[in-house]
Amino acid sequence: MIPLLSVRDLVKTFGTKGKGGDVRAVNHVSLDVQPGQTLGVVGESGSGKSTLGRLMLRLLEPTSGSIIFNGTTLSDRGTKDVRRHRRQMQMIFQDPLASLDPRMSVRKLITEPLIIHRMGDKQEQSAKVHDIMDRVGLSIDALDRFPHEFSGGQRQRISIARAIITMPQLIVADEPVSSLDVSIQSQILNLLLDLRRDLNLTYVFISHDLAVVQHLADTVAVMHLGEVVEMASASEIFNNPKHPYTQALISAVPQIDLDLRRERIVLRGDIPNPQKPPTGCHFHPRCPQAMSICSQEAPTPLLLEVPGVALGVHTVTCHLYTPGREE
Amino acid sequence: MNSTLRRLLHRKLALGSVLVILLITSAALFAPEIAPYNPNEQFMNGLSPLGSPLAPSSHYLLGTDLLGRDLLSRLIYGARTSLIIGILANGVAVLIGTFLGVLAGFLRGPTGSAIMRFTDLMMAFPALLLAITLASIFSPSLLIVALVIAMVNWVQIARVIYTQTISISEREFIEATRSLGASTPRILFKHLLPHLLPTILVWATLGIATTVLLEATLSFLGIGVRPPTPSWGNIIFENQSYFATAPWLVFLPGVAIVLLALAFNLLGDALRDELDPTQRGRS
Amino acid sequence: MIRYVSRRLLQSALILLGVSFITFFLLYILPADPAQQIAGRSATPETIANIRVQLGLDQPLFVQYWHYLVNLVHGNFGRSYIQRTDVSELLASRLGPTLYLMLCSILIELVIGITAGVIAAVKRGKTSDNAIMLFSFIGVSAPQFILSILMLYVFAVKLKWFPIGGYGTPEHFVLPALTLGILGSGWYGRVMRSSMLDVLRQDYIRTSRAKGASELRVVLVHSLRNAILPIVAMIGLDIGIFMGGVVVVESVFAWPGIGQLAWQAIQRVDIPIIMGVTLVSAIAIVLGNLLADLLSPLVDPRIKLNR
Repeated sequence: MIPLLSVRDLVKTFGTKGKGGDVRAVNHVSLDVQPGQTLGVVGESGSGKSTLGRLMLRLLEPTSGSIIFNGTTLSDRGTKDVRRHRRQMQMIFQDPLASLDPRMSVRKLITEPLIIHRMGDKQEQSAKVHDIMDRVGLSIDALDRFPHEFSGGQRQRISIARAIITMPQLIVADEPVSSLDVSIQSQILNLLLDLRRDLNLTYVFISHDLAVVQHLADTVAVMHLGEVVEMASASEIFNNPKHPYTQALISAVPQIDLDLRRERIVLRGDIPNPQKPPTGCHFHPRCPQAMSICSQEAPTPLLLEVPGVALGVHTVTCHLYTPGREE
Repeated sequence: MNSTLRRLLHRKLALGSVLVILLITSAALFAPEIAPYNPNEQFMNGLSPLGSPLAPSSHYLLGTDLLGRDLLSRLIYGARTSLIIGILANGVAVLIGTFLGVLAGFLRGPTGSAIMRFTDLMMAFPALLLAITLASIFSPSLLIVALVIAMVNWVQIARVIYTQTISISEREFIEATRSLGASTPRILFKHLLPHLLPTILVWATLGIATTVLLEATLSFLGIGVRPPTPSWGNIIFENQSYFATAPWLVFLPGVAIVLLALAFNLLGDALRDELDPTQRGRS
Repeated sequence: MIRYVSRRLLQSALILLGVSFITFFLLYILPADPAQQIAGRSATPETIANIRVQLGLDQPLFVQYWHYLVNLVHGNFGRSYIQRTDVSELLASRLGPTLYLMLCSILIELVIGITAGVIAAVKRGKTSDNAIMLFSFIGVSAPQFILSILMLYVFAVKLKWFPIGGYGTPEHFVLPALTLGILGSGWYGRVMRSSMLDVLRQDYIRTSRAKGASELRVVLVHSLRNAILPIVAMIGLDIGIFMGGVVVVESVFAWPGIGQLAWQAIQRVDIPIIMGVTLVSAIAIVLGNLLADLLSPLVDPRIKLNR
């Protein structure tokens, strides 16, 4: 299967004009997103996941590395080309109040993508808008109102409507439910699931909340300080986490089922300073299983064989799994 | 927008200002119909036997000026001049200021810095001095006067728009619109500019006060609008020497100038309070 | 800190350079011919041409400008075309009265403005507040020449308390300084009022009231000290504003300062003087702004000297 989206060796450095060091928000990340699948990207704040999401859509310019969408090397293309490709790749933002122009009516907001990409005449566009409103669960008389008149959940529905109206193939959702009440979160997540099924969408779902990712993701990539430390199918990640960081994250996910409750692994220390990352493996100061080599050498991604599992690709970046070191 | 209008009208001073502006504007628009006489006509019986201006009478409601012309008519036509120049000059200033401010604020980088350095430079100029020099040098037409005033006035607007543009363009909905695939012109015109409109409106209003005052000052010095075309400023200029014996010749146009500027200032201030309560103003 | 100041000084020097060049350029391209002005109406073309060469007006723009700059560095502002004196002499003799007037008027502006602002803040919402605010608006809306003429008319012509313009005795001072003072106070008054209102809202004012301090003490001692800080930074900007409008006031009151000097020079196209006055004013403006910027962190410690 040709991946819908591939990033290869992606790096994004932010300069800080001399105050402290430069920040490597994304540090040599390579991964594939398969069509029809949902990739969950998880990590703490500062892990670079939001930056990665924006790089994928080329909303930010990569410092180096390449982005390949549907066979086209997006990172090579000029701005006009990239803009045309946006029809196929959309983003849902975390804060719908901030990401919707407060002066535009809902109708204008949702129709805008169609206008930008010149899809259909006025009548067709209007029909499309009505159809989408239906799909996301908003009533038609919402069309003439303004974003601030709605609740958080409804606003996010507007955002989603705007993102899917051009029938994109890929949607990058950056913390789409983090700013919503817990009761609303599941509504929106279910909506996303329905849309995925109905419209054959591929998602990249970015979140710091593993419990949320559990619902949606087929594959999960775990990020720490700009690097992907582990990536595997969702079931593997949740049932068989290899990287100590992943293990700590999983242990913190609340489980109601007593049998599934895990022992909470508490990480020592603070999130390291992104301007001055630790030597060797960036995680070693907090790692409960750190070894002497961890502070000296940065580990490289290793492909693990997982016997008997369909999506048998499990990548870990950790010295614990270097061949010969297995206990 | 409707609620803003309603609230605005409730402030008495703002209401008063709007009335004054409407009054003066109507006078300017309907000058040929309202003015009792031709403002440039020097009447044979317009001067006293000694050759000095006449006091107000039933014939000449506000008296005559040093050349025997009817003051009232000149005042009414003067409103036309002051308003035309005020609006024209301010319009140009707002256009230039907005254009440069948006450019600098949206593009940022070296272009933005260069533009802002340029505004710093312009701010260091003693404004009036520059205006006076330019006005006295170039041929005296209404257009030139208006342009000179605009040259001096655009800087403040540019800086305000610049700061505003930066703060708006950093808001997430701009990034979100870009992620939809919108082109830069679309973002500028459909998203940025509508958010700038309140600020532009406030400064357009306040700016007219400044341009009216500047025109009056230039005309008073004799280098703005040249007689015989009447402007409130040059009426004062021409009749200065009579200010001891016929003070109304100086004070009536003076009051008119202050009234017009005051009205625009109050209106602009009220607009600013309504449209952006975070700005400094009354509490 | 020192780095900031030196960086700003360098910026200011560059700005002044820019100002001087633009002014020079504008004067260069003006339609009026200074040589003609000097020679008079009945001069022959040869005389005019001779004068042009004498003054160096036949040389290209940049050469002329370069000469000007070189002279400037040596403190030589050139020679007046009309008056046959060094511009620097003229500037020196005229600068005094202007600076004197500026100081006095700023002082009066501050006194009136601060008092008015404090009263308006304390009596917020009542008639006195509205009246004071209206007056301050009028102050901002009235062109200088109008109030000047009014003051002259009432106090010099009718009441004959003061002389009608001129310079020399303290009496000559009162009207011009008072006029400018009243007009400028409007600006300070409004800022003072809102600053005072902000301060009066603060918790520490409530504390001192609770401690039993008299209202007068609360207002004058505690609040004023903090509320006045923004005003301090404004003074720097005020200098710039004064310089911009100096021509008008000096004309009306026949005040022998650089404004009047400039006005005469403009009418006679005496370029060196125009350049000189523009430069001096620009220097004052730039220094004033620098002062205002340096003082703002004192006002609000949250502002860092960053640019």
